[in-house]
Amino acid sequence: MASLSDFSAPRSLHPLTLVMQFLRSLPALLLLLAPTIIRGSAGETRLTLTFALMYAVITVPLIIIRYLRFRYWIEDDEIVVHSGVLTRRKRNIPVDRIQNIEIQQSLLPRLMGMAQVRLDTAGSTSSEGQLEYVSLKEAHTIRRIVREFQRAEQMQASLAQTGGRQGNKARAAAPLTPPPALSPEGLQAGTLHAADTGEGKATPTNEGDESSTPLLTMPPLRVVLMGAYRFSLLFIVLLLSATQYLQLDPEQLADLLFRGPLQDAATVIAESPWLYGSLVVFTAAVLSWLTGILTTFVRYYGFKLWLEGDKLQRKHGLLTLQEGTIPLKRVQTLILRSNPFMELRGWFRLELQTMGYDVDEQGYHVVVPFAQRNELLSIARNIRPLALPETFHSVSPITIRRHFVRYTVALLAIVIPLAQLWSTAWWGLGLVPFLGLFAYLHYRNHGYATTGNMLFIRRGVIRRYIFAVPLDKMQVFMNRASIFQRRLGLKSLSVDTAGSGSVAYPEIVDMPDAAADALLQTLHSRFQRYFRARKDEGAPSDLLDGAAAKAFATGKPEADPTAGATNASDEDTPVNHENGTQPTEPTPTEPTPPEAQAEPSSLSSTEK
Amino acid sequence: MAYDNMRKLHPSAKSVWMIKYAILTTVVALGVGAYEITQIFSSADRFFPVGTYTAVVLVLGALVTIAIPLLRYKYWRFTLMDEELFLERGILNRVRTVVPLRRIQHLDVSQDVLEREFDLGKLIVHTAGTRSADVVVPGLDYAEAEQFRDDLRNYITEDAL
Repeated sequence: MASLSDFSAPRSLHPLTLVMQFLRSLPALLLLLAPTIIRGSAGETRLTLTFALMYAVITVPLIIIRYLRFRYWIEDDEIVVHSGVLTRRKRNIPVDRIQNIEIQQSLLPRLMGMAQVRLDTAGSTSSEGQLEYVSLKEAHTIRRIVREFQRAEQMQASLAQTGGRQGNKARAAAPLTPPPALSPEGLQAGTLHAADTGEGKATPTNEGDESSTPLLTMPPLRVVLMGAYRFSLLFIVLLLSATQYLQLDPEQLADLLFRGPLQDAATVIAESPWLYGSLVVFTAAVLSWLTGILTTFVRYYGFKLWLEGDKLQRKHGLLTLQEGTIPLKRVQTLILRSNPFMELRGWFRLELQTMGYDVDEQGYHVVVPFAQRNELLSIARNIRPLALPETFHSVSPITIRRHFVRYTVALLAIVIPLAQLWSTAWWGLGLVPFLGLFAYLHYRNHGYATTGNMLFIRRGVIRRYIFAVPLDKMQVFMNRASIFQRRLGLKSLSVDTAGSGSVAYPEIVDMPDAAADALLQTLHSRFQRYFRARKDEGAPSDLLDGAAAKAFATGKPEADPTAGATNASDEDTPVNHENGTQPTEPTPTEPTPPEAQAEPSSLSSTEK
Repeated sequence: MAYDNMRKLHPSAKSVWMIKYAILTTVVALGVGAYEITQIFSSADRFFPVGTYTAVVLVLGALVTIAIPLLRYKYWRFTLMDEELFLERGILNRVRTVVPLRRIQHLDVSQDVLEREFDLGKLIVHTAGTRSADVVVPGLDYAEAEQFRDDLRNYITEDAL
């Protein structure tokens, strides 16, 4: 196995990268040659040859030079990548900034024993560093080195912590000398030291990832079942590209249908538009169902999730093998997803929102693709204590009316212009009752709850989301009232988190005015209290534990929004508590017993 | 959410916004006017006399130029508390934002050409959030904006994720 010392000198990529890059550039060549190949007349053969030659003269050397220019190595606490032919790029990626190391093996590189390594850092919109391709072994070694370094650094930080418990500020100010600088000896010393202190997670598991007990493994049958609940419209694209690719002549196709063996069927269908319509719908449904199964199977085949230290690992894929790491403390919002069919049978899917940006999944990582509710919750317990509330508070029923009006206006905007051209379109107005039903379902499926240190928001009719936003990951609190909402005494409340998407995000729409204000106030003062408690405690951990967590574990959703309002009015000036930064701040007036118990314990821990 | 002593923006902010809208109106009116001049000698029948569109643009622009800055100023208020920055603003969409100071990632004070004339500045508070990552407080006295920035600087945390 390659060791760290091998990485201190500049290294180049796997030589077979050349082959891969060459193969990859072939489609461009084909595109270039396509017209001449298809026509194939004698005069144009010369043209084809010229193109091919030009291609060989320009592209092939470019691939080779690019390969030769690409160098990477590990230096102190940075990964250095030099690349580029015309524009030369030197990139230093500090190891402690790396959020996520993805190892991905597409089919061909996989056959050649190569893998693509992507190094994600926080806040970047694309992968900062990409090694394409290195051998699989090397990919694992890089991952191991980075992880050991990060672990050693963390250990150092926590040692500094136990030394002088002086709260966050002091900890931040303490010089965080990356303990064993990444020289080979230093690293070994670091890991040895780690082993000495006997912290359970200190012993590094190498490529033998498999040794740790998996949280979830999905047998092929379950992957198929998962696919059966998903519809994919990918087949439309496939069909279109197939007809493009095969150069099918529409006239020939029609010929085949109307004069060929399918003629009888075709005439029957043509005579009855209803039959025709339902046949189209039926075929589309079956096709999308089948492609749903197929794409899911290819993607999630052999899905495996396991915990390694404080990082979640997952691995899946039939053709393209993907391995990903999610540091637990980078997890922001947990999202439970389902659709009506899945929910009927109790199936859910768990996604995590993290800071590192994953292009393929819009910033969301699927960690449990398909599991029964209880199974999923027990897995989620490893990530964060997650107690799904039994009941959600509804938003104002006026939302039904607002949504109905909105849907109807949208329908009219489609139907009226269409009906000018094609009068049958007026029948589209028959959908209006369904819009009413849909608006009602929207109301039924929309709700919120606060349990202790989480805000839960449920929304969606067909795509159903339950967002679980942890108190300590909230960023900005917002209340918003449009001109229509104000007329009806409504407000929307949203909580921004790092890395949340723009399509589906946690927002409570159309709450009664007072409830929205109260909830905002409650959330904010809880947020501040949580961090104040954590500061007093000097808790090193980012995860909820200790007295800080207990201080908020009220354990059940608040009785109702009005109760929230009374709470809020007690805490109306949350800043007052802060005035004396003493740990002996008065217990906030929420009359819940767990808090009363938790408060002294947090005091005792600070006084020690 | 009730906060006492909510601050208003600096009154000159209205002038800055008005000038910006006036410039925008002028640009649009010039564009429309230029188009109408090219149409003077065209033979097509005209429904409205020449210059109507320019006049409409000018009237609407004048309304916007006067009304929007006044309304925006009227509804803009904010306050800086010990632990949070609270903002309230919006003419049609009334938005209230609470930015906990511990969530500040970094701070900017910016000033454009117009603002420089009035000695105003914008305070831009960046958080790690995604949809409302940058919270902007416009129309502050420049020195004051810098003062706010310096006051808030202490809250920038090492790792707010």
